[in-house]
Amino acid sequence: METGPILRALSRNKTGALLIALQIAFTMTVVVNAWYMVGERLGNIDRPSGLLEEDIFYVSSTGFAEDFNIKVTIEEDLLALRQLPGVVDAVTINAVPLSGGGWSMGLRIDPGDDTQSWPVAVYMVDQHGVNTLGLNLVAGDDFDVADVEWREPGQTSWPDKVVISQAMATAMFPDMDLNNIVGKTVYISNDEPVMISGIVEKLQAPWSGWNSIEQSMLVPQKTAFSSVRYMVRTEPGRLDEVIPRVETTLLNLNDGRLVRNTMTMTETRERGYLLDQGLATILTVVMAVLLLITAVGVLGLASFSVRRRTRQIGVRRALGATQQDILRYFLVENACIALIGVFAGALMTVGLNAWLVGAMSFPKIQWGAIPIGMILLVLVAQLSVIGPARRACGVSPAVATRTV
Amino acid sequence: MLLYYARIAWVSILSNWFLSLLMVTAVGLGIGVCMTIVTVNYIMGSDPIPNKSSELFYVQMDSWDPNDAFREPNEPPNQLTYLDAMALMTAGQASRQTASSAASLILELDQPDLKPFIASARTGFADFFPMFDVPFLYGSGWSKAEDDARSQVIVLSKETNERIFGGENSVGRTLRASGHTFTVVGVIDDWGPVPKFFDITTGPFNEVEDVFVPFNLIVELELSRSGNTNCWKPSADGFVAFLNSECIWIQFWAELPTAAEQEAYLSYLDAHVMQQKELGRFQRPLNNRISDVNAWMENQRVVQDEAQIMLVVAVMFLFVCLLNTIGLLLSKFLGRSQEIGLRRALGASKATLFAQYMIESAMIGVAGGVLGLILTWVGLRGLEGLFGDFIANLVTLDWVMVASAIVLAIAASLLAGFYPTWRACNVAPAAQLKAQ
Amino acid sequence: MLDMQQVAKIYRTDTVETHALKNLTFVVAEGEFVAVVGPSGSGKTTFLSVAGLLETFDTGSYKLDGQDVSQLNDRQRSRLRNEKIGFIFQSFNLIPDLNVFDNVDVPLRYRGFSASERRARIEAQLEVVGLSGRMKHLPSQLSGGQQQRVAIARALAGEPRFLLADEPTGNLDSATAAGVMTLLEELNQQGTTIIMVTHDNDLARRTGRAISLKDGAVQEIFETSKAVSV
Repeated sequence: METGPILRALSRNKTGALLIALQIAFTMTVVVNAWYMVGERLGNIDRPSGLLEEDIFYVSSTGFAEDFNIKVTIEEDLLALRQLPGVVDAVTINAVPLSGGGWSMGLRIDPGDDTQSWPVAVYMVDQHGVNTLGLNLVAGDDFDVADVEWREPGQTSWPDKVVISQAMATAMFPDMDLNNIVGKTVYISNDEPVMISGIVEKLQAPWSGWNSIEQSMLVPQKTAFSSVRYMVRTEPGRLDEVIPRVETTLLNLNDGRLVRNTMTMTETRERGYLLDQGLATILTVVMAVLLLITAVGVLGLASFSVRRRTRQIGVRRALGATQQDILRYFLVENACIALIGVFAGALMTVGLNAWLVGAMSFPKIQWGAIPIGMILLVLVAQLSVIGPARRACGVSPAVATRTV
Repeated sequence: MLLYYARIAWVSILSNWFLSLLMVTAVGLGIGVCMTIVTVNYIMGSDPIPNKSSELFYVQMDSWDPNDAFREPNEPPNQLTYLDAMALMTAGQASRQTASSAASLILELDQPDLKPFIASARTGFADFFPMFDVPFLYGSGWSKAEDDARSQVIVLSKETNERIFGGENSVGRTLRASGHTFTVVGVIDDWGPVPKFFDITTGPFNEVEDVFVPFNLIVELELSRSGNTNCWKPSADGFVAFLNSECIWIQFWAELPTAAEQEAYLSYLDAHVMQQKELGRFQRPLNNRISDVNAWMENQRVVQDEAQIMLVVAVMFLFVCLLNTIGLLLSKFLGRSQEIGLRRALGASKATLFAQYMIESAMIGVAGGVLGLILTWVGLRGLEGLFGDFIANLVTLDWVMVASAIVLAIAASLLAGFYPTWRACNVAPAAQLKAQ
Repeated sequence: MLDMQQVAKIYRTDTVETHALKNLTFVVAEGEFVAVVGPSGSGKTTFLSVAGLLETFDTGSYKLDGQDVSQLNDRQRSRLRNEKIGFIFQSFNLIPDLNVFDNVDVPLRYRGFSASERRARIEAQLEVVGLSGRMKHLPSQLSGGQQQRVAIARALAGEPRFLLADEPTGNLDSATAAGVMTLLEELNQQGTTIIMVTHDNDLARRTGRAISLKDGAVQEIFETSKAVSV
């Protein structure tokens, strides 16, 4: 290849080449880092919550009438809801995965206030919880009707049994068989013992950005609060039909309350990951526009370079260069510039990433991303230069004989 | 003469319209993306109460777990316990002070056709309104006497008054809230500080609450609280036990206009903690803090990491657009070496040519700035579409941003045009006029 | 060597047809030194472009070294230019971004010679034109005469059998021009066929034969032993 003379010729036109190389370097820096962030965020979004989301919705009921009897109403409601056509099961629940609001506690293997504590999200449900949420019990047993108690406002004590997520189980007891974890006693509120009676495969906490998002537990309690939330699982595909039926059923049973905030799990997921999804969208648009701008920049500068060198292209043709030779000249020249750009870009990518990781919550990029980014940018540059290079091929060798 | 340059520049821009369009697009996109992100950051980071932000102080006391900091590195908790908030209120060491917390009320209306609805409520003390410069449409806030008497008084937001009383002066009227009768004492005019500095624990960009009621009523009527409650130590059963627990759920603000008052207040806080230590509370090392509004916003990272990352990306984006423009201008100007040589031969000085080409760059900058503004507006609408209510308070363009966008665009283009112009002006006239 | 029969070349724009060459018939034998003379616009440059395969023609036939070139595609024509034809231009046409060495190197690259052979040929040719010491210089650092000698070295490096010169001394002062002319004469004596376009009668007289063009047609072909009058 004739890289030697091309590089020597390039060194006579440093500014133009430098501008392109810098553009490529900056573009690569932004694209690789942004791509990594998009990947991380979208990866978060794809994590399953453990629930059968497409068949689940929930609705709040807030009593306000003077004679509103909380416990009676809840019992009546649950009985009625579970018998509605299209409903598989229903429970009261204090928090909803992905919704952003909920309770968390700490579980300890040893009681006390200075022993290690594992954070855990709390879901208060009755014996229908596992079925309603569509969870997969991998060890131990579900709650029995006798396990379930009322949780009064202001109450701080806990029931005797809990069902925890598998991630919680392995966090507390690594290397232990799940079946052996069942039956273990752990401590809540520093020193109140509870027994792990079952383990579900997956159940995410309500906070999508929480570090311990996979750590959660079900406790057999029904909240006797004036405001409760019913979670309903429908038969597949019957969600839209069941929602209005549930709302009217609740109001018919007792109209001394507000029935509001009906939301499906699908909507909850969208809202829970709004920031991540939005950020991913913005960054993707920015990356695309940035690549486009760089491509246009390369194209613009290459067009000029072709126009400026029309005469020498003619001379080269007169001296025996074929059209392919001319095409290759421009592609090789562009590749040289692009390579300088991407190597600088690789350094800048690592530098920016190091800074972002240090200064804010940013994922550290893996080395594999850098060569991919380099190849991408070289490809973009090569594709952008093809147009001008083809125009260069069309230069007639006869321009060499013209005296202007 | 200026007009002549502008005309030449215009002809030159038109003669190479495709290239000019590329440059305008590049500048416009750069400005558009940059300004979109900067606007969001600017609003996130703006001072919500500029004339008092250095006099209002958020109070923190480290009542947390002796074994673990509330947040590393050794940050005091972001709210106060009921015990401490009440002690601070009773002491009244600041010229004005208020404990505050969020709650929710079910509003029942006399009209049978209006269904009850849940209103978000802010609880506070009498000083809340004068401290935060809350503007009133009708009436005013309640008095200290009404605080002490635990009077069932309520202040409505403009929208709530609209909804319940059709917007008329409702001072003196009564309404039922969560089973109790309240008397309206005031209606607030439009008020929505961004960030919502007085309580950012549930999100710094939320709307201001629908109604305001005395803080003491939370205790008196056991109103349903909202907002965040954090406990490091389990509390006993029941509401009284909760009030006496180590759970934090109250924001506390003090108005301390002078450095002397601030110092005095801090030493008062220290004294309070030392006294509490004797009772077995506050087992962590002394770690009290007062932060003025902007310091508190900073401490709570109101400008989120995501926004800052986007800002870095946007600045680099603008930089690439500038490099692009420099390259294109350089090519364009140097492509006219012959014309430059000719003009020089015909008597144009370097300064004249410099002016001519800088004007051309500036014209591209103005066009790019206008395009950038349009794109900024589109970008902000796009953000609104992506994030909905979460960001609605953050995506408005004010004249400061409009002016900055134009200035930034022109400055960027002049900067981009500087090197190419300099190169063009240094073209040796003779070399360009030879036969070749 | 060169055999043109009834060659015509027409430039067309939307409104105008220009007959640049009209049924030109001309034969050059191997080893000849031919001058092409004529006033501005007479078709000299077009003739040179067609002869040098830089441009195609519309009608007639053209055989170069016995090969019919009208049927060749671009790649084959490029190859033929590269191997058999050397060009010398009035304005030298050195590539300004390349130094002397790299300029002479250009046609050799397209020829596909190995690096060592290219280097040997470049050094030899620059020796011939007396510029061995200037290999790293850029064209802008050379005088007009030196530039033209580099161009000649570039034209000869591939050992073409056929040299086309377009006003080779047009941009040079008379002393330098004489030197370049002497160089061409020596090359001709070593066997290279040369066609030189010129409007300088003194130069035309130093060749063996001259063709005079007017309005794209042959006006006169004459031995230069006669007096030339244009």
